[in-house]
Amino acid sequence: MERAASNLGTRHRLRLTMAIGALLTLLGAYVVSTIDRADAAPGINVIRVAEFPADCAFSHRLPDDPIIFPGLPGASHMHSFFGSRATNAHTTLPDLVNSATTCNPRVDVSSYWVPTLYRNNVPVEPEIVTFYYLGEGVRDDVVARTQPLPLGLRIVAGNARATGPADSIARWSCLHAGHVPPSKNFVNCPAGTMLESYLDFPQCWNGRDLDSPDHQSHLAYPVNQVCPASHPVPVPKLRQVLRYPVNGDPAQFRLASGPGYTMHGDFFNAWPAAEMARRVNDCIRPVIKCGHDGRPL
Amino acid sequence: MRVVVSVPTAVLAAALLLGGCAARGDTPSPAGTPTPATASGTGSAGPFSATDVAWLQLNVAMIERLLPVLDLVPDRSADPAWRGLAARVEEDHRSALARSRRLLSDAGASATNPHAGHDMPGMVTAEELAALRKSTGRSFHLLVARHLRAHLTQTVRVAAAAQQSGAHPVVTALAAAAVQEGIDVLAQLDQLDQLDRLDPDHPPGQRERVARAATRPTHHLVLPAPHRTHI
Repeated sequence: MERAASNLGTRHRLRLTMAIGALLTLLGAYVVSTIDRADAAPGINVIRVAEFPADCAFSHRLPDDPIIFPGLPGASHMHSFFGSRATNAHTTLPDLVNSATTCNPRVDVSSYWVPTLYRNNVPVEPEIVTFYYLGEGVRDDVVARTQPLPLGLRIVAGNARATGPADSIARWSCLHAGHVPPSKNFVNCPAGTMLESYLDFPQCWNGRDLDSPDHQSHLAYPVNQVCPASHPVPVPKLRQVLRYPVNGDPAQFRLASGPGYTMHGDFFNAWPAAEMARRVNDCIRPVIKCGHDGRPL
Repeated sequence: MRVVVSVPTAVLAAALLLGGCAARGDTPSPAGTPTPATASGTGSAGPFSATDVAWLQLNVAMIERLLPVLDLVPDRSADPAWRGLAARVEEDHRSALARSRRLLSDAGASATNPHAGHDMPGMVTAEELAALRKSTGRSFHLLVARHLRAHLTQTVRVAAAAQQSGAHPVVTALAAAAVQEGIDVLAQLDQLDQLDRLDPDHPPGQRERVARAATRPTHHLVLPAPHRTHI
């Protein structure tokens, strides 16, 4: 059904072109028959995944949280910060915009932070830290009208106050050991593998607020693959993936916020608006997998 | 007839006037009623900042976590110095709790506490509370001292930051009072702790002197005059 509509749109557009259009029609027909939405594809070798990444190594640790405890250094449990090197309890958007970053790409001066992981009470930092911006979890037509994440957006995902797996969206698994079932609490990863944490941020914005009193309710998760009326603006889904150089008995591990199911992530968006908009336009809406530079892979 | 008309007019005018200044939270909402939660509410002495609201919420959560510890002292300690200190801290904390809640209400901030049920620095955990309930005598005193010290140290750290970074004068005054009270009680705790460690060889009368000091009223619970009526 979607393919048919897409095909029609392609033909309609091509009808407006001249001689070169005929060639493209042939090419287009081939592309349409093999992929979902050929009209947006600039080439046939793109990978049809709506995605652009930022890899942001560990920067620093502080018991600070400029979203939950602005202006109150020392008020929080210990956090591990990624991205902007400047973040502390007093950080505001201009501080981030002017800061150095650990991210690849360097244009991403956003700040990302999580509760510090401890192994036998010694802090451990993830060796591989990737923030994926994705167009998934909503219908294709919703992906196609994804809006950029607004500059200055602050959002907390996960539940630091979770009292058990039931009220948590944490996901722990093992890198290179897919046979270990994922869990909301720490898992026992085989020797030679890494403990990994996945966390998906909400992707439906209320279109108005950069923050909210509980630091969550200005965004929402989709319902039946659509953004709810209360949060009508689809934005890229931020997926935080952390790989820690530890494995073995989960009893050695704790987060600064408690058990594994208290995993949460904080995001303070400081992507330059034009860079974010370009990636949404070139990677998310047309469903193309992009590299760190925001260009198709 | 004229009187009948003028009375409702006066009432209406008064209501409009009141409405004008009460719209943003001069009228405290009943505790537990979720109000439109923003940090933009204005009390009678100016707007509340995000720092003000964050500190008040954390203060409420920290105090609520300490009260069950203090409640154990009268039942589990016969020591007048400890009982006196616990009573003093409890009185101060209950007063600060009521003020913090009222200010949050004035600020239009959520009555739902974002820190409830969450182990934060300085907070006694459920396991630690269970251990306290099983201990008595000197070991109980040492445990209470450890938890009270952790709580007060964190309270002083965060309240000092709120005093410096907060915006609303009543909030920063409350934070200043929390810093001073925390420092005073930590000093008394040091003395008591020392006695418990040296017990029973401390000089006669010393314990009683500490007990008297612990129950002495404190000057800094009185806040600056211009703001006193609002909290």
